[in-house]
Amino acid sequence: MKLKLTWLLTLFMAFVIQFSFAQEKTVTGTVTTADDGLPLPGASVIVKGTSRGAQTDFDGKYTIKVNQGDILVFSYVGMKDAEKLVGSGSVYNAVLELDSTLDEVVVVGYGTQTRATSKVSSVRVSAETIENRPNASFVQTLSGQVAGLNITTSTGQPGGNSLVQLRGVASINGNTEPLFIIDGAPVDEDNFRSLNPQDIASIDVLKDAGATAIYGNRGANGVIVIKTRQGGLEQGLRMNYNGFVAFSTLQDNDYNRMSTQQLLRYERDRGAGAGAGGSVSPFNPGDGSPLTDAQIDAAPNFDWTDFFFRTGITQSHTLSLSSGGENASQFTSFGFQDTEGILQQSDLKRFNFRTNVTGKSSNDKFNYGTNLTVNYSTSEEPNSVGTGGINQNFVLGAFQSVPYLTPDDYVNGEQLTSPVTFTNTPLFLVDKLANFSRVEEEVKIVASANFNYKLTDWLSANAVLSADYQNEVFTFARGPLGFNAIFFAGDEDPNSAGTQVTTPGFVDQQTIREFTYNQVTSLNASKSYGKHTFDVGLYTEYFKAHLKSFGFEARGLNPATFSPGDGSGFVDDVAAQDVFIDLARANILSSGLFSYFGSFDYDYDQKYGFGATVRRDASSRFAGSNRWATFYSVSGRWNISNEPFMEDSAFNNLKLRASYGTAGNQDITGFGPFSALDLTLDLFGTFGGYGNQNSIGLTQFANRNLRWETVGQLNVGVDFGVWNNRLRGAIDVYERKTTDLFQTRPLSAVTGTTGQSFNTGIVFNRGIDFQINYNIFQSEAPDGFNFELGLVGNYNENELQEIPSPNGEIPGLGRNGGKLGEYFTLRYAGVNPANGNLLYLTADGDLTENPDADTDRVWIDKNIIPDWNGSVNFNFDYKNFFLTTQWNYALGVDRFDNDYAGLIDPTNVGQFNFSTDILRAWQQPGDVTDIPRFNATNLNSFGGSDRFLRSADFVRLRFASFGYSFPRTTLENTGFTSARVFFNGENILTFTEWRGFDPETRSNGSREYPTPRTFSIGFELGF
Amino acid sequence: MKNISKLILLSLIAVFTSCNDAIDIDQVGRLRAENAFSSVDDLEAGLLAVYGQLDLTPEIALSANFTDEIAIGFDSGGQGFALYDFVLNAESAAASSFWVRNFIVNNRATVLLEAAENVEILDEDEQERFNNVLAQTHFIRAFSNFELLIYFSPDPRDDSTLAVPVVDFVPEQLTFTALRDTTGEVWDYINADVNRALELSTVEFGGGDFTPTFASVQAINALRARMAITRGQYGVADALATDLLNTFGLADRTQYQNMFLDSDNTEIIWKLERTLNDAYDGQGATGSVFAGGWAGARFAFGSATLDGSPYFEMDRSVFDLLDPADIRFTVNVAPTSVISNDYLNDPDPVNNDILVIQKYIGSEGQPLMNDLKVFRSSEMLLIAAEARAAGPAQDLAGAAALIKQLRDARFGTDQPLDVYNSQQEAFQAILQERKIELCYEGHRYKDLKRLGPDANVGVDRDPIACEIQSGACELPATDFRFTLPIPIVEINANPGIAAQQNPGY
Repeated sequence: MKLKLTWLLTLFMAFVIQFSFAQEKTVTGTVTTADDGLPLPGASVIVKGTSRGAQTDFDGKYTIKVNQGDILVFSYVGMKDAEKLVGSGSVYNAVLELDSTLDEVVVVGYGTQTRATSKVSSVRVSAETIENRPNASFVQTLSGQVAGLNITTSTGQPGGNSLVQLRGVASINGNTEPLFIIDGAPVDEDNFRSLNPQDIASIDVLKDAGATAIYGNRGANGVIVIKTRQGGLEQGLRMNYNGFVAFSTLQDNDYNRMSTQQLLRYERDRGAGAGAGGSVSPFNPGDGSPLTDAQIDAAPNFDWTDFFFRTGITQSHTLSLSSGGENASQFTSFGFQDTEGILQQSDLKRFNFRTNVTGKSSNDKFNYGTNLTVNYSTSEEPNSVGTGGINQNFVLGAFQSVPYLTPDDYVNGEQLTSPVTFTNTPLFLVDKLANFSRVEEEVKIVASANFNYKLTDWLSANAVLSADYQNEVFTFARGPLGFNAIFFAGDEDPNSAGTQVTTPGFVDQQTIREFTYNQVTSLNASKSYGKHTFDVGLYTEYFKAHLKSFGFEARGLNPATFSPGDGSGFVDDVAAQDVFIDLARANILSSGLFSYFGSFDYDYDQKYGFGATVRRDASSRFAGSNRWATFYSVSGRWNISNEPFMEDSAFNNLKLRASYGTAGNQDITGFGPFSALDLTLDLFGTFGGYGNQNSIGLTQFANRNLRWETVGQLNVGVDFGVWNNRLRGAIDVYERKTTDLFQTRPLSAVTGTTGQSFNTGIVFNRGIDFQINYNIFQSEAPDGFNFELGLVGNYNENELQEIPSPNGEIPGLGRNGGKLGEYFTLRYAGVNPANGNLLYLTADGDLTENPDADTDRVWIDKNIIPDWNGSVNFNFDYKNFFLTTQWNYALGVDRFDNDYAGLIDPTNVGQFNFSTDILRAWQQPGDVTDIPRFNATNLNSFGGSDRFLRSADFVRLRFASFGYSFPRTTLENTGFTSARVFFNGENILTFTEWRGFDPETRSNGSREYPTPRTFSIGFELGF
Repeated sequence: MKNISKLILLSLIAVFTSCNDAIDIDQVGRLRAENAFSSVDDLEAGLLAVYGQLDLTPEIALSANFTDEIAIGFDSGGQGFALYDFVLNAESAAASSFWVRNFIVNNRATVLLEAAENVEILDEDEQERFNNVLAQTHFIRAFSNFELLIYFSPDPRDDSTLAVPVVDFVPEQLTFTALRDTTGEVWDYINADVNRALELSTVEFGGGDFTPTFASVQAINALRARMAITRGQYGVADALATDLLNTFGLADRTQYQNMFLDSDNTEIIWKLERTLNDAYDGQGATGSVFAGGWAGARFAFGSATLDGSPYFEMDRSVFDLLDPADIRFTVNVAPTSVISNDYLNDPDPVNNDILVIQKYIGSEGQPLMNDLKVFRSSEMLLIAAEARAAGPAQDLAGAAALIKQLRDARFGTDQPLDVYNSQQEAFQAILQERKIELCYEGHRYKDLKRLGPDANVGVDRDPIACEIQSGACELPATDFRFTLPIPIVEINANPGIAAQQNPGY
């Protein structure tokens, strides 16, 4: 009846407007989806501003009567609306895109809600922005994608650990990283090298207490919930292949290191080293006479950076298969990746297997899912990176070696033992490359299963069981023929020195098995009464972690049969040669958590929402003191855009959110489930004491008041979408307050110790997160030009209070009212033009050459933690091309450039290379320069000053991707359903004042392994 | 029915693990305080842990780096530059090392003494072993407090000066703090421990249970001799030292050489054993007073040879005092050393004059690892000589005779007898003899502090070497830096003590 009336009206209207020459006509078309191009049945087609409409049929086709000039609006649940202006044509096809912002389902504490009814601050990162990127660990890929999430990778080791911090640093000694949950399994947050990023379907980053409080005992630093890909029900077999090849190189530096010719002349001027004829290294072993200009010009000029660093090649392949029947679906993937690090002897090879299965009973009452991934990886990781070990650290060799030595100067390890000179640094390292190996092998399994049974239509019982298993085997071997083995070898004769053993070296092997089990069981109810909807959940959670390790060090290796990790070459201990005594070690540790908790959610008409959680937690760590703790949260929302008064506004979405809650940090020392296990006890130990005889001695002073660190967080945020989501985003302001910080309280040495960690003090993190996207160009046509701008940012202020020292400050930590890790140091004031000595400021600001290294230090309001960080993104697509660029930035980072310090240290003359800056060192009275006299009297007297403190702020093109998706028409008859090629780059371009290789390093060390610049090419095929 | 079975399954999952299994976990392999010491055997094991806390390498490092025993090596990687430039303050490793390390020994010894009160003794044999544990524990506690006194009291001969807190108990609360007690009070504490040790000890040189790596009655007396000379009690010092010198005698040249290979103990009253795989079997902190590790790693990274990467070399001021005919030349100067023929005019003294320190050549097949000699009879001889010269009788000839006795033994031939025209001359000779007899054993800093002002001798480095470095060549023995500052690590915990900081800091 209603339909007929519409038709009548249409006729009537047609009659009325006939004078305008408008001509009603019938148009047809097909509606398809953008992601797979398949027809979309049941989509609605409406003439804008009218109630005239039609629905697409099973083939996605529709027919509708319209007037020229009408606008057709195509819509479908979960898709973005599309509009078409009716012109003279009669066929109007529409392609609908998935709407990733509106009615998306988001993860909130052990469950999901729609984006609209979510009351919390969270960000979803979808597979699109993770897949195909040439980072071995997916965590690196998240960098810059989530407002407030700071990810710093301080090593270029493939698959190396990244520091992940959400909204500032909320603990001094405890864990500061979020809880990672993969398919319901809490996993080791520091080890993702074995997992395949291509399996990830989505990552939800939960930020405010409303979202994290329910994770109670481990939610204090945010929660990152990762879902892997699943098959769909009623889906034929789909196969997908992704592959890429990547090339990584060392990033640039501005240190201006000297060439051989510059260096030898400098040495000659200084009267030291090979240039002055005073060297004992293979190049020009000194006869005391300086080199002539001709000799210097003829000297070899070798770049050791290019020797120890290389172009690392990565290849990655992932094949996945998914399918589904009526009651079950599966997703299976196989992955292989081989990544060469840019530093010699660093790489990662891994094999991944995953199978995810879902199923249900035919009456839909029982649902289950299992997720299993089994992975094996092997990686070479050089040790001693970041140290000053000239015979150990390849990076030192790369950055500081003298260029007049070449690899041809290396003969063997024995020869390097006489004479031993620092000048031979690169040769020691060439020797180490040949005689040292360090390999980590790992088996990692993450398994989880979830069960859901609907007891009634409003009540269900759920269980999630999960396990994280990793077995790591570290093997490192110092071969018997290398310099290090010979140099540190013992002697044949136990009572004298001089007759060296012929079978030195050692093999050290360590196996660590870690198993964690987690289980959540719950009853969940959901019921609506008219416009009122209630959700209630009751939960228990059980967590247990077990570690078992075994290791040995076998000393003495026979070169005839030695091979790393194999025992054939082991030399037995003999009575006269105790240097061959082997060492064994083993460890067993356990820890656990138990919790029960509840959640309550209320919604009124999709306009107002309120939620609350409360949770009781117990940790085995605090069994002897404060085992139980309670955490809670409240949250609310107001969907302003759903109010009648907003009907005509430009806002299609406007939501105000607020939450406050608490969460606990039980990992108070920050070393994971196997650290700080029984700090509440006074302990003695049995160990090798005096003369290595068995002894009993004190090993731990009890802390009888040990408790949880608690983070309380207030968050107020707004989600908005304007002009049909053309402009959309979220802005949040927050304050996080950590109380009961577990930190070291200085103690008088007369008590037998100088400090004990206990729960005291407060740190605040206050800031703002924003994540805004704007479609600057939005084409009507499906293959038109689109240009989207994205802004991701976080500003965070850190403030310490109640520092446990009488004057409210602890050097190295900070001061009351100051920021965490604020530098407390002497202020360097330049070079005295009168004598070339270094000048400092006293505490009062007066110039001095002899500051008091104790009392003239001041707080300088700088630290290494960024104030601002985030990214700016520009995304373009046109026809089937796309270009994505992500510019990351960090501001307010100050680091000591100790690599530079090493390159202008005049005492290194004859041993290491220099920056050409040293050529402008002070020479005579009146010289105004920034480099002191080479033998300034106070050059080495005062170690700590801000002389080498530099800003490490940067803007960097962190990621760019350019690609082409082959149109469906091209692929017809090829057997492929989709095909895509892409070129990716990481760390392409950096703008910074920092002179070193990588400003983005959370370290004040030197000779570290920088992250690389990577370019890759890859393709993706669907069958 | 089907539904019920699924429900049962879910409930089973919920309860099959009880919560206590997760939150009541006793880690394996833990020894709780209340179970640690229940027998004399346990106490003996506890004593070994206390012994294990004793270390001389910080003294060796401080003395070498700060005074005139070493020069910066040709193969230096920057080790010890600040201390070589006489930079010493409350932040320095030296202050922290001496303060903290000795208070930890004091604490661990006191813990053991308190634990011993609850141990049941079954028979006489156990009683004797028990007594000897107590004797050695009291002795070690005295030894450490004496070290605190020497380094932190501005004048150990003035009882009214401030020294360190006397803490002869295990504080109930870790927040406990104490202010400095006077030098006199610390002397009383040390003397009480020494006297108690003497009462209890039954181990004597010549007895079957004597071993030089553990404290005996003679070690206690050697400590008393050193205490007496430090406090200016010359009569006591002379008597004790002379007695010990006579008991042990001096090593002959072969014995002397073997002593530093740890294969001869003729002259050794007490030494700390260092052996493979013990807590000190490693490099330790090179170029830092925190030290630890092999004694020889205070001077070189790999071995006591030219190829062992010596970051510190022998200062010419030591080398020039060593006569090649003196066995101490053989012991101290590595044969691989490069010795310039014309040092004063050498154009490249860094590379043409490399004096490698060999005192810690290594033992048990491990280069640089040697036992740490605490009390040697030659030190007793030098204490006796000093006591005679300084005593009321001013027996300068007696001092000279003792010096000759030592040199005769070291040269293996009859050496001329010195004649001292003044007490100061005698002091200078004694200081000089100590410089070569006890070099690299951690004495020079204490010797200059004690005797330097009266002898008018201070730090006096070879001018060529120190000019190449930074020009830090001389420092009078009256300088305030011959007393260590209260370390910042203590002041952080105990702010009241800041007002009691030593003069000059």
